[in-house]
Amino acid sequence: MKLTGTLEKDLKTLKNILPAEDILTFSFQSKNGIAFTVVYADPISDKELLGEQVIRPLLRYDGKATAEDIGKSITSAELRKNGDIDKLAEEILGGNPVVLFDGMDEAIITGVKKVFVRAIAEPSTDVAVKGPREGFIEDIKINTSLVRRRLKTPDLRFHMMTVGRRSTTSVAVCWLEGTTPKKTVEEVKKKLQEIDIDIIPDSSYLTHFLSSRPYSLLKQVGTTEKPDIFCAKIAEGRVGIIVDGTPIALTVPYLIVEDFQSSEDYFVPAYRATFTRILRLLALLVAIYLPAFYVAAQLFKLQLFPVKLLLTIAGSIRDIPFSPSLEMLLVLFVLEVLNEASIRMPKYVGMALSVVGALVLGETAVSAGFVSTPAIIIIAFSGIGLYAVPNLIEITSVLRLAMLLIAGSVGTYGIILATAFILFYMVTSDNFDTPVLAPFSPLVKRDLRDSIVKYNLGSLDMRPRTLKSKNKRRYKNG
Amino acid sequence: MAKISSRQLYFLLACIMPVGKLILMPTHLVYEAKNDLLIPAAVNILIQAGMIFLVMLLSRSNKQLYDMLEYTFGRVVAKVLTLLFSLFLFFAALFPLLEQKQLVQSVFYDTLPSLLVFSPFFIFSIYICATPISSFGRVWDLLAPISIVGFIGIMAFSIGSADFGALLPFGAAGTRAIVSAGAYTMSWFFDSALLLSLVGKFEYKKNMAWKSSLFYLLGGFAILLFLAVFYGIFEGLALRQSFAFSKMSKYFSAITALGRIDYIFIYALSLVMAYFCTLPLHAGVDCLNRALGGNKVATPLYSAGINLVMLFLMFLLDNNFQGANNLITKTLFWLFPLFCVLIPALCLLLRRSPREKRKVS
Repeated sequence: MKLTGTLEKDLKTLKNILPAEDILTFSFQSKNGIAFTVVYADPISDKELLGEQVIRPLLRYDGKATAEDIGKSITSAELRKNGDIDKLAEEILGGNPVVLFDGMDEAIITGVKKVFVRAIAEPSTDVAVKGPREGFIEDIKINTSLVRRRLKTPDLRFHMMTVGRRSTTSVAVCWLEGTTPKKTVEEVKKKLQEIDIDIIPDSSYLTHFLSSRPYSLLKQVGTTEKPDIFCAKIAEGRVGIIVDGTPIALTVPYLIVEDFQSSEDYFVPAYRATFTRILRLLALLVAIYLPAFYVAAQLFKLQLFPVKLLLTIAGSIRDIPFSPSLEMLLVLFVLEVLNEASIRMPKYVGMALSVVGALVLGETAVSAGFVSTPAIIIIAFSGIGLYAVPNLIEITSVLRLAMLLIAGSVGTYGIILATAFILFYMVTSDNFDTPVLAPFSPLVKRDLRDSIVKYNLGSLDMRPRTLKSKNKRRYKNG
Repeated sequence: MAKISSRQLYFLLACIMPVGKLILMPTHLVYEAKNDLLIPAAVNILIQAGMIFLVMLLSRSNKQLYDMLEYTFGRVVAKVLTLLFSLFLFFAALFPLLEQKQLVQSVFYDTLPSLLVFSPFFIFSIYICATPISSFGRVWDLLAPISIVGFIGIMAFSIGSADFGALLPFGAAGTRAIVSAGAYTMSWFFDSALLLSLVGKFEYKKNMAWKSSLFYLLGGFAILLFLAVFYGIFEGLALRQSFAFSKMSKYFSAITALGRIDYIFIYALSLVMAYFCTLPLHAGVDCLNRALGGNKVATPLYSAGINLVMLFLMFLLDNNFQGANNLITKTLFWLFPLFCVLIPALCLLLRRSPREKRKVS
């Protein structure tokens, strides 16, 4: 619907679209008698700036009644013109006040929205001892500025769009022109445009729509809270997605190996980075398989234990009233409950919870003969191991449980078959034409240089081949 | 998904195919050829390497076997031949499955009945056989290092206990024993038939024929090394050491203190074996599908049907492993040279492009 140019009529139409009580209007006349009305959303518009940069200059205005001349008198840095009433309503709801005036079929949109932001801080989910400590916050503008600050190149492109019928959440698709394959950029834009949902409260909602297998157990979209990691991923040829209202940015295509890498790996010597990556992988494997193999060995193949260890275990489990698998499931259940509760509890209660968990549930359960000490040690070790790769915790905790159930029912061969099944499922999972298990499957020899092993920077002169970037060379190796 | 790459094919030939020959073949060889077990094994490996070379020559047209048969003989004959070939592949799959079942019982469990614990394999196999073969290529990328680590681990733990003098003198068993050992172990060498089923599913590249044979020989060398170490450890008792690869490394001195850490390598090889067992089944399902119309929707049904038949056969043969063993390795062994040597050689005579229709003037 277009503006008619009759102030009263246009105002009425606008108020019909926006009947909410927090949408306010302020009418006044300029020095030469032009009638203006400013429409704004009270809680999210900056009234001080509105008065200073918009209303005060207009009160003194003495020029022609054209949108162009009037616009010149307003001192706000962000000004746009639009004649579409629906678009104006959208802007008002976004916090940008709209100036309507008599005799013109265009209104002026002023960018004086009130910005509520928390300070930029280190994200709690991705702490680094060495390297940048900045993290994304909830404001898209600040987040895009954090990216722009690191990539001061005209090749850095942002494509702004809104997603969500009711939330009209701002989403920025970000890529490096000439480096990121155009096909991936277009595919991301297309997938985002096709989303038809009422609200997008968080970027995690978008992952469902960006995944080629939305119901897959596997993660298919990369996430990060750190601008340095985000920029590094974009510079490799990925597409980044920043969503307003959330500090978690997304990147595609996603490779599972990304979650074994940490930003710190790039600020320590290569041998140290390789060591910690292998450690993470081993910790993850132990976390998934240790409880399962312990149960399978107890139930079906005691030879797996060395004799002395077998005697110790036999002594510990002698009086336990449950089967090994049920015992392990019970301990795992307690660990998961403690974990879930401790995340959501206030810190001062969390301390008490740890005491209850460790002392009451742990020691007392052992001394009462409900569970054995090896079971608690194994589950505790497994619990710690999962956190070595925190980004994969959703999948790995499910896999651990699945392996435990399989071990309790089919034993070791069941674990091997389940592993074979998972491997096959993983190798057939592609997203944005990129296999998630690359560079291991399919094998891309050159990309192995920054996978579980990490070569020196001198050897990382090429961008990952898996990402099919046109601009293959990262730097000239002199 | 793209075609199988040359690298993935080499991994299959060098690292995955040899794994299937480590379970019961060593004891069968010892039964016939005693300390000369390396000779019949080497001959079979050399024959298969030659056949692989021929099959690779056939693959230069990048056409699948069924298409080549259809171009040469017409649709009906192509369907019949492909059906026969798929039946052979199911037959070839039977013994590795029986072996695997026995292995599972022996290595993974002390008490449970093997049929019960082996049955879940068929769930896995139904899923695998219903997916396109091109997906396998990526799995081979992962399985190759697992196979290498497993093999090296077991060899490293056991080679110190081997007395290679036990293999001497060469030829003591006599020609007849060596020939019968070679003949009765042919059921483990159906690699060229497997490769024939893959023709057209990988892109032929220059020099790929001899490279493939070379990689197969590399895997063959690993088998020979394994056999030598196996006989070197057990000598006269080797005949009774079924599932050799799970027993050879237990004499390593560190095992007493650390427990059976060699099981890590045994499990790694068992993982590769699980995939290996699905290969002839998958190839058979694929041929069956082509022979019966090439309907993609029907593949899961064929996969489920064939795997259920195999499970039923496992059930039938559960208490008569020795009978099945004799039937496959001693009575019907001639099927293997027929389908793995003669037919691939004859396939070279197939036309690789369609004959132009005669113009009617």
